[in-house]
Amino acid sequence: MKKRKYISRFFYHSARLVLGVIFIYASYDKILHPKAFAEVIYNYQILPNGLINVTAIFLPWLEILMGVFLIVGFWMPGTILWCNILLVVYIGALCFNLARGIDVNCGCFSTTKGSSISIETILWDAAFLALSVYLFFVVFGLKFNEGSK
Amino acid sequence: MFIQFRKKTSKTFGQQFLQAVLQCGALFALAVFFGFSFNQFRDSRLPLFEDWSMEARLISSSGERLDITLIEAKKLFLQEAAIIVDARPNDDYEKGHIRGARSLPWHDVDQRFMEVTKDISVDTLIITYCDGETCELSHNLANFLLELGFNNVRILVNGWTKWQNADLPIEKEDAD
Repeated sequence: MKKRKYISRFFYHSARLVLGVIFIYASYDKILHPKAFAEVIYNYQILPNGLINVTAIFLPWLEILMGVFLIVGFWMPGTILWCNILLVVYIGALCFNLARGIDVNCGCFSTTKGSSISIETILWDAAFLALSVYLFFVVFGLKFNEGSK
Repeated sequence: MFIQFRKKTSKTFGQQFLQAVLQCGALFALAVFFGFSFNQFRDSRLPLFEDWSMEARLISSSGERLDITLIEAKKLFLQEAAIIVDARPNDDYEKGHIRGARSLPWHDVDQRFMEVTKDISVDTLIITYCDGETCELSHNLANFLLELGFNNVRILVNGWTKWQNADLPIEKEDAD
């Protein structure tokens, strides 16, 4: 029973740290190059023009704060909820543009060229979403009330 | 098994969710605060609002219009007075392209621009194109070439579709 608990702890903290590092890594280049990130957002052709620059300014900071909070374990319910929302939105945007055949730079981890969207990028995001959903279940204590004895 | 270690909480799911929503709001407010503060004091400040319309994007930094009509492009093509560059991915180029067009996919531009532009002088007229009214590849490529010092770059918006609809000469990579 104790061993199980340790394994569970290990999985929880690993998922938290991995997702935290991913979000910090993803935000870094976008903070350094806001104009290029605004171009990436524009190319997705989803947001109205008036929201493109505003989003390019705050979104990388939301990601970096989420990354830091995941690593230090602060405001976990809110941070995890944001993680799930953002990843679902990102996957939706990728699928939408892939389906309509628009060839855009992913902008997932870097604002530079050479990373156009593909099934692979969607699968990566889906893997991150799986981690995020797992953390959601742990943080919100779903199932554990009847499971832990 | 992996989700059973957390301590039981006296809070209901609804209370926890409400707490999460409040934290979400606070996190958003913090991101907005840091983002806008940082942007305000950085050298390369991004304006909060910018004209992203298609018309505005067809104007170069020097105020020149970058787009070219199909009629003009056809004339230049027939006179062999311009180099036409296809900004679409290589697969699309191989399936079909404007006859004589060079392939310089925007996503590989850093690796390939030297090879593609080595015999082009900076004054040569270059016409970039991709496919679709909202396709950005030709815009991005045109701006990239302008930044490199090519001073005579134009964009044939929705070039591939317009060219085919006008029954102008095309070729496929297999036919080469």
